Amino acid sequence: MKLVGRALMGVVIGIFLLSAVATTAFSASFKMGFVFSMTGGAAVYGASQKEGASLAVDQINAAAGSGLKIIPIFEDDASVPQQGTNVFNKLINGNKVSIIIGPTLSNTAKITDPIAQKAGVPVLAISNTISGITEIGDYIFRDSLTENVVIPHTVKVAKEKLKLKKVAILYGNDDAMTKATYEVFKKVLKSSGIQILGEQTFAKGDRDFSPQLTQIKAQNPDAIICGALAEEASGIISQARQLGIPKTVRIIGGNGFNSPGLIKNAGAAAEGVIVGAAWNISSTAPLNVKFVNDYTKKYKHAPDQFAAQAFAGVHIAYQAAKASNGGSDRKALRDAMAKIKNLDTVLGRFSFTEGRDANHIGVVQEIRDGKFVVLGN
Amino acid sequence: MEHLLQFYAIYGSVINFIGINALLALSLNVTLSAGMLSLGNAAFAAVGGYTAGILSLRFGFPYVASLAGGTCAAGLVGLVIGLPVLRLKGVFLAMATLAFGEVVRLAAVNLDVTGGAEGLTGIPNVTTTWMIYLVLAAAAYFIAMLRRSRLGWGLVSMREDETAASSLGIPVTYYKAVAFVIGAMLAGLAGGMYAHLNYLITPRDYGFFIAVDLLIYNIVGGTNIWYGPILGAALLTALPEVLRGAGVTAGPIRMGINGLILLLVILFLPNGLASLFARRRSSAVKAGA
Amino acid sequence: MDLLLQQLINGLFIGSVYGLFAVGYTLVFGVLDMLNLAHAAIFTLGGLIALWLVETAGVSLWLAFPMACVAAGLLGLLLNQVAFAPLRKRSDSQFSGLISSIAMAIIFEAAALGLFGARSVRFPVGTVPTHTWQIAGITITLLQVGIVCVAASLMVILTLFIGRTRTGKAIRAVGENERAATLLGINVNGIIAFTFFVSSALGGAAGILFGLYFNNLTPDMGRSIELKGLAVIILGGMGSIPGAILGGLAFGLSEVLTVAITGTSNLRDAVAFAVLFAILLIRPSGLLGRGKTREA
Repeated sequence: MKLVGRALMGVVIGIFLLSAVATTAFSASFKMGFVFSMTGGAAVYGASQKEGASLAVDQINAAAGSGLKIIPIFEDDASVPQQGTNVFNKLINGNKVSIIIGPTLSNTAKITDPIAQKAGVPVLAISNTISGITEIGDYIFRDSLTENVVIPHTVKVAKEKLKLKKVAILYGNDDAMTKATYEVFKKVLKSSGIQILGEQTFAKGDRDFSPQLTQIKAQNPDAIICGALAEEASGIISQARQLGIPKTVRIIGGNGFNSPGLIKNAGAAAEGVIVGAAWNISSTAPLNVKFVNDYTKKYKHAPDQFAAQAFAGVHIAYQAAKASNGGSDRKALRDAMAKIKNLDTVLGRFSFTEGRDANHIGVVQEIRDGKFVVLGN
Repeated sequence: MEHLLQFYAIYGSVINFIGINALLALSLNVTLSAGMLSLGNAAFAAVGGYTAGILSLRFGFPYVASLAGGTCAAGLVGLVIGLPVLRLKGVFLAMATLAFGEVVRLAAVNLDVTGGAEGLTGIPNVTTTWMIYLVLAAAAYFIAMLRRSRLGWGLVSMREDETAASSLGIPVTYYKAVAFVIGAMLAGLAGGMYAHLNYLITPRDYGFFIAVDLLIYNIVGGTNIWYGPILGAALLTALPEVLRGAGVTAGPIRMGINGLILLLVILFLPNGLASLFARRRSSAVKAGA
Repeated sequence: MDLLLQQLINGLFIGSVYGLFAVGYTLVFGVLDMLNLAHAAIFTLGGLIALWLVETAGVSLWLAFPMACVAAGLLGLLLNQVAFAPLRKRSDSQFSGLISSIAMAIIFEAAALGLFGARSVRFPVGTVPTHTWQIAGITITLLQVGIVCVAASLMVILTLFIGRTRTGKAIRAVGENERAATLLGINVNGIIAFTFFVSSALGGAAGILFGLYFNNLTPDMGRSIELKGLAVIILGGMGSIPGAILGGLAFGLSEVLTVAITGTSNLRDAVAFAVLFAILLIRPSGLLGRGKTREA
């Protein structure tokens, strides 16, 4: 028993030493840790994020020449908060990264970010949209627009264009992100004087939404407000149309809807869907056009918002590292992050707010002819 | 020393999770040793975790009092659930406890007091490594003693043949209920400690797949001896991190190797990892006799 | 009234899907008394293989469907060889079989993730005709009718097969008493392997239909139906084929009726599992169970 224990300890220490040797960095580079959910329930989003981030890192390193380079370290938290904690400790104390980008899930972030805050390692959240993330501490940043920003805007535009009076809500109540979407929608709808006819819920992984939609159909709403991720959203949209809910009853979603996969999976039923989003795939800004083209060329499918936010995140962190003398000093890197102003990114002109949240303009889109087009700003 | 500190800095959380998971695995072992398969222990951990968390957070109870509250609440629920379901056997017992577990998880999703899907946030972070291992040592000692007691022998004989055990005068129903409640209380204690380790607990921490994990720890480690579940929990909790450390980073490959190792253990070590140690001892005993 | 009728149709449909998934589950349990938790992974792979055949290999669906079912069946044979056959003689085979099938489920899911990626994918538009009928405010699609018919006919065919044919009788004999079956000259190992083939092919078929209808296939799509499948076979009675279909319908109806009666869906799953719990306490052998209380 003792022998086994010692041998195991030896192996682990050996691995640690090896990684320490392997990481004696040369000066013109810094380590960026990525914590994405590449397996498990959130693997869909983690996959997009990894692609977006890898593309950014490859392009930056190729263009850097003898300048500052990024050493990326990608880790998978398997969509499990426990593993997220383990990975954060490893990146912070083992790999000694300068900054961590991630984690994919908001619930994981609530557990892992305090670890980084305590250790004084900057974290850039790229997909957490619930409140209470950047409040964890002054080392926590995020480039994803929260639902608090996106949704009021969406409701305002939709109300103007569609003359909404009464709506029904359908949301996932066992997921932190979709539930947050619902809560913000509810608050904003109330304050805008739009009547809520009824609320229906579903569970993560559900494929069949017809019982809920049947109830909604009977209430005859002007629109259906939907707190769902792209995976479930495509099912909701196609089943709503299949049940005979007319196309004039628009379906309105939050951040989670913004994915080309939605159009692909829902097909013709997706026409007319309204999406509040942080990123506009059809933006003609040169940086964005280049990103969409490069991404599509490399991965053979179009990027989604998760990929765009990851891509922008790497660029934001890289700018901060350049501004802080190579990014090897975590404190200096944090201070440089806080000073990022009007950086040109695929998300648009980017700055952080006082509270280290994303401060850029959201966009309200609708799906027309199989594409996201801008409905209003 | 420095290396040790560094090692702890990197793997401290893994060490903590091993302790918690081992405690949870032990809680399941009490009923497994009587041949009863419960998939409800994750739910008992949820009852303990949420109760302890709410006591700390909303009522300002001190840590130990919150843990005690969580443990008792889990024990109480265990008693109420246990009395009707314990007449069921085998897979049916497993399914009834599974259904109970789902109801508990869904209650946590739908209630306000548990914080819904976002979970209970802001629980003070007071559980430390030494506390976990102190409790684990005490629990392991307790289980080892239990196995030698009248109750322990009774439970094992019930696993072998319930009818025979009953005809030998073992109060089967009573013993079953006691084992079930002890398991629930241990799970509740582990849940309470876990709630105070992570700032946050969510319904997803206690779902069906967690309940299955506890069973896996026991079977892989070995159910016949007190340290079996601990070995199983240690190996399987550390495995993803060991693979990560060994450079297996690609998600699907790591997942596949995880599954493969589980398969190999179950195929080639019929009595779990514990048999690696026990075999040596039993052959020594034989040689002595 | 329209509302309730539409909800009943919704329940009938989703219930058939649950039932179809559960038939394979219950078949293996009936023969081996072991739960095969890799069934959900084979269900997923069946759907993904069919999609690959249609989309990448350009096979027409009518050919891809049986091909993918056979592939799923072969995976079932592999599963039996690797995870069940070596454990059969062990005294704790019920528990260890459960674990080794979980191990295989993890390996299968990892394979699906590695081969097909994490993104949700769908069958190309127009793979199946999407005709919709609107009758008196009620909507039914052709695919829904198709799936209900497939589930019903599979139930009839399987029941006849198990009840009337030689092989079917051999399967039942092995399920009742393995040793006696051996003495009667039945090739027990062959029968068990065959059962796994049939069960997994059915699981694969369920996966394809599921993928066709919901247009959303992911490597982990089996997970959400796995738990419901377990509930369904308990409800119907472990090992009973008509029970699995009936249990599926009962489970599907309990879901939609909760929504229809309470008007909200918050309690949908909680009610379904509470009903399961109650049924276990009142009638552990399920709706159509064989009545005999099993040894643990």
